[in-house]
Amino acid sequence: MLRERLARMISEAGDGEISAAEILADGGSLTALGLTSLAALRLIDAIETELGVEVDIDADPEALESLDGLTAHVAGRLTRSPR
Amino acid sequence: MTAAGAVRAPVTVAFAGARGGESSLTWGQAQIWRAIRLMGAGECFLNRPWVLPVHGRRDLATVLDALRVLLERHESLRTTFADTPAGAVQRVARHGELPVTVVDAEHAAAEGERPRDLAARIAGELARTPFAHAEEPPLRCAVVTRGGRPMALAFAFSHLAADAWALDLLAAEWRSLLAGESLPPPAWQPMDQAAFEAGYVCAARCARAVEYWRSALRDVPLDVFDFPPGEPDDPRFVEVVMESPALAVAAELLAARWTISTTSVLLGACATVLAGVAGRSRAVMQLVTANRRDPRISRMVGTAGQDGLFLLDLPETGLTQPGLTQPGLTQPGLTHSGLTQPGLTQPGLTHSGPTQPGLTPAGLAGICRAAHRRALVAYRNAHYDPAAMDAMRAEIGLLRGREPDLDAFFNDRRAIGGWPNRPAVATAAELAVLAGKTRTRVSGAWPGVRFKAFFTVGTATHTGELHLLTDTAYLRREAAESMLRQAENLLVGAAAEILEEGA
Repeated sequence: MLRERLARMISEAGDGEISAAEILADGGSLTALGLTSLAALRLIDAIETELGVEVDIDADPEALESLDGLTAHVAGRLTRSPR
Repeated sequence: MTAAGAVRAPVTVAFAGARGGESSLTWGQAQIWRAIRLMGAGECFLNRPWVLPVHGRRDLATVLDALRVLLERHESLRTTFADTPAGAVQRVARHGELPVTVVDAEHAAAEGERPRDLAARIAGELARTPFAHAEEPPLRCAVVTRGGRPMALAFAFSHLAADAWALDLLAAEWRSLLAGESLPPPAWQPMDQAAFEAGYVCAARCARAVEYWRSALRDVPLDVFDFPPGEPDDPRFVEVVMESPALAVAAELLAARWTISTTSVLLGACATVLAGVAGRSRAVMQLVTANRRDPRISRMVGTAGQDGLFLLDLPETGLTQPGLTQPGLTQPGLTHSGLTQPGLTQPGLTHSGPTQPGLTPAGLAGICRAAHRRALVAYRNAHYDPAAMDAMRAEIGLLRGREPDLDAFFNDRRAIGGWPNRPAVATAAELAVLAGKTRTRVSGAWPGVRFKAFFTVGTATHTGELHLLTDTAYLRREAAESMLRQAENLLVGAAAEILEEGA
């Protein structure tokens, strides 16, 4: 599922400092969980490389706020741009 | 002999690395190469004075050998640079020698100067001469000894050889080498980076960044400030530093409360102050960006930083008063920032006075959260070929009559996000007392560094160290000082309200 995959990718972008399980269980702010700007940039790169989706935080300020926000953002763009 | 009267003796460190060669510049090198050309007489601004301590009892031979290992490991430290008909190139010397001066600190010690402080002073001296990049190694070094024992190394690095990130990498390796540990060979050097940047992944990244900048540059103001320049001071560019433990306390508290980084908190405050002085509701700044998120580049000694473009729209708060930015404000004694904020530059009011009218803590939270997002966008579009960016900017210049002036900057030099050695504060009253300890002073002056306003967060861990370099034709020293105080007031005021709520 996309939500679980994104949770794993968030964890990897942060060098495993936050576990995917924590991210799935928390549901709140990713920054409050410890997602740094550096990790956020790595995450955007990974989503672009692995899923072919450009994360547009300018158009959608919620995109990196929470796991659910990110899932909705990526899901919306996956359906719009079939690859 | 030095200014301190210390005795100096020359030695050399011979090195033999695993690889030599020539390649095009990395994008980070190209950006610094361009900046050196633009700065002219002010180019020494880009040199990095730096000190490495020598912990434990090590003899001179051990210390020089550790230095040899650093030179052999990192191609960046044995690279010269030259313009060729095909463009600028980096040339890595496989073999060579680095001249090192050994400075005896006895004389300085007799006058009460510690070896570390002497090393810092020597590093400053070494950095005051431009590098002859085509002939000279990109670093200069002196070993400060006392009683024959090395106490510290003083360096000046060309910014072409190392950025702040690289210096942190070298400091960590230095500790390991002096402890006798062996290190794995570096996997990624600037010549590897230059080859990577010539590939398709980076071509796509560059194209995206150039498009982001292009769309922004179509409608940003053509000037940093609308008011005309006045008579500048000599030297024209002055840097003021504010040392404020209260700023550190406030930034950490607000970052935790607003779930953003302390960088974004400081950036939001600086952008607000700059927009206020400019009389605008949008801040336009370049962000010095580390460009180190790729794991290979994160371990590369070299220079990778480039500039990102940061745009932040601010709510109408009464902070901006465009009517006040009129000609004539550059007369000596008048400060632009003072006039956009009546009262704030009067002695006594710059500090303990209320936060800016119309900007509530909630309003400031919104600004700093937006700054956090906008900074991510800027960082993401900060890895590009400077030549491609220059070509686009020239096109914009043709369209708009001239290129927009983007010489307002923000740079956070810290490697860590907080201030681990800052004082602890529990109440608004304690924060107010701490705010009384804030000091400002002039920290440097240069003849030509081109910036209109350049905020830098320094690396002190016990106090909030915020620098502001200004072009005195637009912002005199007093204005720079007032702007730093305003940034502090914004954050300390918001933090005090949060502490009061919690009391």
